[in-house]
Amino acid sequence: MSTVQTDRKSNVAVEVTLAVILLIAVAPIAWTVFLAFMPNRNIVASDWQISFWLGNFATIFADGTFMLQVLNSIMIVLGSVAVCMVVGSLAGYALSRLHPPRWLTIPALIIAAFIPLIPPMTLVPGLYLLLSEIGLIGTVPGLILVNGFLNLPFAALLMSSYFSGIPDELREAALVDGASEAKTFLLVMLPVVKPGLAAVGIFTGILAWNEFQMGLTLTSGGETAPVTVGIAGLLQPYAVTWGEMAAAGTLAAIPIIVMAVFANRQIVAGLTAGAVKG
Amino acid sequence: MRSTVEESPRVREAARSREQRPERRKRSRSTPFAILALLPFVLFGLAFAAYPLFQVARMAVSDVQIRSGQFTWEFTGLANLRQVFSEGDSWQAVGNTLFFIGATVLLSLILGLVLALLVDRAVKLLPIARNVLIWPAVVAPVVVSLMWLLILSPTAGGLNKVLRTLSLPEQGWIADGPSAMAAIVLVDVWHWTPVVFLFLYTALKAIDASTLEAARVDGAKEVELIRFVVLPALKPAIAAVVVVRIIMGVKAFDEMYLLTRGGPDGATTLVSQHIKTLFFDNLELGEASAFSLAVVLATAVILGVFLFFRSKADAR
Repeated sequence: MSTVQTDRKSNVAVEVTLAVILLIAVAPIAWTVFLAFMPNRNIVASDWQISFWLGNFATIFADGTFMLQVLNSIMIVLGSVAVCMVVGSLAGYALSRLHPPRWLTIPALIIAAFIPLIPPMTLVPGLYLLLSEIGLIGTVPGLILVNGFLNLPFAALLMSSYFSGIPDELREAALVDGASEAKTFLLVMLPVVKPGLAAVGIFTGILAWNEFQMGLTLTSGGETAPVTVGIAGLLQPYAVTWGEMAAAGTLAAIPIIVMAVFANRQIVAGLTAGAVKG
Repeated sequence: MRSTVEESPRVREAARSREQRPERRKRSRSTPFAILALLPFVLFGLAFAAYPLFQVARMAVSDVQIRSGQFTWEFTGLANLRQVFSEGDSWQAVGNTLFFIGATVLLSLILGLVLALLVDRAVKLLPIARNVLIWPAVVAPVVVSLMWLLILSPTAGGLNKVLRTLSLPEQGWIADGPSAMAAIVLVDVWHWTPVVFLFLYTALKAIDASTLEAARVDGAKEVELIRFVVLPALKPAIAAVVVVRIIMGVKAFDEMYLLTRGGPDGATTLVSQHIKTLFFDNLELGEASAFSLAVVLATAVILGVFLFFRSKADAR
């Protein structure tokens, strides 16, 4: 391996090209953070006026609706992550280790394979009717269920691959020792797949936090909407609130990027597995 | 079965107990727990996919009106489908989506491949690159749109500011039809190339180092190495990531909606936007549903054809 590394060390062109691409990857994020600390008149000015101003953040936090939307989003994230972890790990376990009857596995596999393929927007007319009928249209519980469901196929398939990685003897041993199926699952199998649960939790959490289409179409906006819809409301092509926009974008993006730095492994697992399967 | 697992004493013990009590093994195959564990998932699917799709299908063949908060249904057969595809807007949305998919898949594939090869050869920037390159993919699409609006806005965007500083002519960007399409393609490529990179980089790492070493010892130039060793080895990963990106392209909505609202004059309207406009703005519930179903079916057929040819190519 070391010979391969010394071969590569000399290549300045590679490092420089990569550095340029990394700058392009980071530039829009950096530009947004930069503008978040500028008053509007500096942003629309035709020359470059640099300042450090916290007024944009103050305006956003003073807006009660925005804070309510942040709370909605947090509840949607917690709720849908819980749905994905509980229902997803049970389903993943059943698909990989138990042998449920065919009449149940076949619909499950169709759902798991089909849902990630179709544009969510095609489900919206039907979901709109469904939520209206059960009285959950425009509510946080309604969005928890929809978000949870949209991420369930990914959660189930990822958990199933983690469960498949456990040697079968562990389960057999627990059963032979007299543990019930439920106890074996909860006390023996689940603790082994903690890394899988972490990946599912972090990744579905990010997806639920980022979700926009369902929040837009299944709520009437305002105080019932998630924060993505609130931020979208600031986006007008000829808007004048550039600074507030940048501040809101910074507040929404930075926590996720910090997470991407510290939970890199789980997110990479989610991005590759989630994309392969969905 | 893996032989190492077969040989372990625990498994032999388990196997023996299986032989001794075959009826127990049989019972464990169909325990109520197996059904209970999978049932919630299937119920979710029935409620949130099967039922909505059934309703979409029902609306697609009906004339649905909302009168004083009540839905009234009247069966009209294929009238909705005929109507929606007799409108130029629908075909424009289909055409835009096909162009969008072609452009974003191709560009992000090339860029992702270049990135994977670069990162694989980098030494100093390797740890930073592997981390920073996933940042765009985790940022919310809404925030991505916001960031690019701050760059591409004709009035206050950073790009026009730079052009002004350099005394170059300013551009309309998202305000003009062709450049608006270019802009949403660019934003999508910025957002999702990291996923392509991750796929191809992972596959690249899995290539046997000694194969590469042998080719280098035999005097293969770097370009020949990539052309004749690396690219053939990456073929399955490239095919997989192309499927993934096609699906993402069909689903695309957020950035396009937020940056251009499908405009100007429908120049950037993608199929999801068209469904939303028909359903929520025009209240053409039947036409929206018929178009939805057509999109679902077309996606299934295109992916089916692609996977068929891929498996045929693999078999060869």
